[in-house]
Amino acid sequence: MESADTTMSPAATMAEGSTIRLAFRDFSMLIALLAIWAFFFWMSPAFLSPRNLSNLAVELSITAVLALGMLLIILPGEIDLSIGSGVGLFGGVAAVLIFNQNWPAWQAMGLAMVLAVLVWVGMGALIVKQNVPSFIITLAGLLVFRGLQWLVISNSTIPVQVGDRANLCSMLTTWFVPPVVGYGLVGLVLAIVVAGTGTSRRRRRKYGCAVEPAEAAFLKIFLAGQVLLLFVLVCNEYRGLPLSAVILGVTAAIVWLITQHTPFGRYLYAIGGNEEAAFISGIPVDRVVIAAFGIMGLLVALGGFMQTAYAGASTPTIGELQELDAIAACVIGGTSLKGGRGTVVGVLFGALIMASLLNGMTLLGVTPELKYIARGGVLALAVWMDVRLNRQGR
Amino acid sequence: MGEMVTPILEARKIVKRFPGVVALKGVSFDLRPGEIHALCGENGAGKSTLIKILSGLHACGSYEGELVLHGRPLALEGVAAAERQGIAVICQELALVPQMTVAENISLGREPRRLGMIDWPAVQARAGRLLKQFAVDLSPGACLAGLGVGQQQLVEIVKALSKESRILILDEPTAALAEHEVRVLLRILGDLRQRGVSLIYISHKLDEVLAIADRITVLRDGQSITTVAAKATTKAELIRHMVGREITDLYPRREAGRGQPMLEVEGLSVRHPQQGGLRLKGISFRVHAGEVLGLGGLMGAGRTELLMHLFGAWGRRVAGEVRLKGQPLPDPTPPQAIRRGLVLVTEDRRRYGLHLDQSVGFNLALSSLGRISHAWMIDQAHEHQRNREISQALRVKAAGLDIRVGTLSGGNQQKVVLGKVLLTEPAVVFLDEPTRGIDVGAKVEIYELINRLTQQGQAVVLVSSELPELMGMSDRILMLHEGMIGGEFTRAQATQETLMAAAMGENKGQGARG
Repeated sequence: MESADTTMSPAATMAEGSTIRLAFRDFSMLIALLAIWAFFFWMSPAFLSPRNLSNLAVELSITAVLALGMLLIILPGEIDLSIGSGVGLFGGVAAVLIFNQNWPAWQAMGLAMVLAVLVWVGMGALIVKQNVPSFIITLAGLLVFRGLQWLVISNSTIPVQVGDRANLCSMLTTWFVPPVVGYGLVGLVLAIVVAGTGTSRRRRRKYGCAVEPAEAAFLKIFLAGQVLLLFVLVCNEYRGLPLSAVILGVTAAIVWLITQHTPFGRYLYAIGGNEEAAFISGIPVDRVVIAAFGIMGLLVALGGFMQTAYAGASTPTIGELQELDAIAACVIGGTSLKGGRGTVVGVLFGALIMASLLNGMTLLGVTPELKYIARGGVLALAVWMDVRLNRQGR
Repeated sequence: MGEMVTPILEARKIVKRFPGVVALKGVSFDLRPGEIHALCGENGAGKSTLIKILSGLHACGSYEGELVLHGRPLALEGVAAAERQGIAVICQELALVPQMTVAENISLGREPRRLGMIDWPAVQARAGRLLKQFAVDLSPGACLAGLGVGQQQLVEIVKALSKESRILILDEPTAALAEHEVRVLLRILGDLRQRGVSLIYISHKLDEVLAIADRITVLRDGQSITTVAAKATTKAELIRHMVGREITDLYPRREAGRGQPMLEVEGLSVRHPQQGGLRLKGISFRVHAGEVLGLGGLMGAGRTELLMHLFGAWGRRVAGEVRLKGQPLPDPTPPQAIRRGLVLVTEDRRRYGLHLDQSVGFNLALSSLGRISHAWMIDQAHEHQRNREISQALRVKAAGLDIRVGTLSGGNQQKVVLGKVLLTEPAVVFLDEPTRGIDVGAKVEIYELINRLTQQGQAVVLVSSELPELMGMSDRILMLHEGMIGGEFTRAQATQETLMAAAMGENKGQGARG
């Protein structure tokens, strides 16, 4: 559904050389993904079973939601190391309110979300107003939030569900959209994309701008529709489309709209590309960066609820290292750590690679030691590639 | 130059080309043993380029012509090579570590060692010996951060001399110094001359130059115009040599009717955000609709700071009042200034003006996205149309709006910056060196644009280091001198000599009020 109008998207407007380079990069990422899938399928055919793919979809949703938030932080050239602990803290806050205090789940989650946004806005303000590097502030956050989480859950394990009664929070990863509704959703998404593309084409023609051939537009939507339908078909083989996949879809659509169609999104690219020029161009740099952190806070809370629900309980180690997965997903997806370059589609792709790796390794029963090494290796490899490609770009 | 003194250092017919510009067009220059040789010239005359060649910053092979040291050809591959040959440069930005002591700084990078460890007593002793030898009254143990700028400069000079430098190049050494510090520095430079050190001295302050130099070479437009003995010349003669540029009919200024005052500045004083001192002192002027106000002055006179401050991007206001279209404009932020109709095209377009990795369209629309957004969404079709119209109006030569700005020529990049600010529909346009580094054709197009703006009733403030451009395009000219107004001239009153004299602070308080 990210296929509509990208002719003005910053990534698409690079000079020809870099377009080819980026295309090469996208292509090699696709090969890497297929290789990863082939490897895991060869080692364990269960990897591509509907049940495991459904699990993978849930894990992807969590990683990708956090990575999409991270995109908004990295675009203006900042970094956030605290989200893994944030996931633990705000998932823990919600779990404690639901299980210990018997709050309705929606109220507990609402409060945790508000708190998360406030905390992240506070960190953003410290970073831009006091000129403390984001690396340091969020590194402090990593420690502080983890400590707070242990205080909140009293170093124990707090389930998100009281007895057998499911609640909104636990349903985030355990509820599945009934098959018929799943197909209906595919139709709805396609209808929205077709309508959006049509409106955009009409307006462009009215202002006398170039419009891509109708055949090309149709083909893109058709292909996207096929992939979407295939995904829902596979999910329906198991228990249906996971609710968390729907949440990811909505989040991705909103972040895509923000980055490609709002002044705020443009400002993120502008600040990351050249902060001084952005300032002189009249961009309220401070407010934009703080707002990006605010959105990150919201997504951290959301990711926290999903991760906690997926684990079934808030545990002392939940969410650990997820900041690094999110950063790796961004970088694998072509986001520049220096800021100013990155797309939603790329990040989703990067998150899919990360989630596939972790899921496959768990499926094969790889020991935690090796998992750590593999995660670190992928992160280093992705950043090294980013640096290399940037250097060639100069 | 018939005297039979062998020069210690000689530059012969140096030609230095940059992409699109010839910075030096055959400069010749010679330095004798034990003399102070001053280099004078307007901004952009080629002084800094020449220094960079003499100090190895522009390596041999990147220019034409030859350098001769002690009668032998000299090929400098870099700054380190120049230092080995005994040539050292003291720049305006000092290469010292503020947290270290005087002694540590002097020995930095060449610490005497004993058993692989730094021999601290030797460091102290070396500094003490050198300071005494050059009669510099500083303690080796003093922390550098506690010293004044002038004293720090002395440390830098002593450090250079400790490397057996026989030739010292001083670039504007007195620019940041107070009166008494200047006296100390000049005395020490005189001492060094006695000891046979040769000095190249660059300064805008002609009084100083006449007081200390033995000979003076004037550069203009990348050429060495003349070399005179300091005793045999006057300030007036130097200024005449510096400014004698041709004014061609390159400047198609058409005066537009003068309308309401658009920007009024009264008694403006601004504090430097880092250094603390007053950078701008008691500045008052007005610009009217349909008028071009030229703003001139030497490097460091405060022209850029004045524009940046009014735009809300620099400095803290300590006194004064600013009115835009009759309404007070108290210390704005750039977004506020733009919303009120005040825009700035900065002098350094690659750093402050453009997002080089982004497309032409991205850059053009950046400042005016609010105007084409509804319900938080950018109307991209409308955006595309506006971008196309403005790039056609400004004749931006690019293969399309999707082309990366960094790939365009300087002139076209500048047009993109202009397009960006004009899309905000401003009332007052600040142009800081708008034609720097662009070719003649693009220059004329920018002059025509200035005419069009004033005919539409917009007001323009034009900063330029090129006097002919300033005189050719301005209806009125304000010269700044060390953060103050050095003189104000109508188009008719302005001559290159009077403007340059005002920029040098020669006739403070004179000139007409417009």
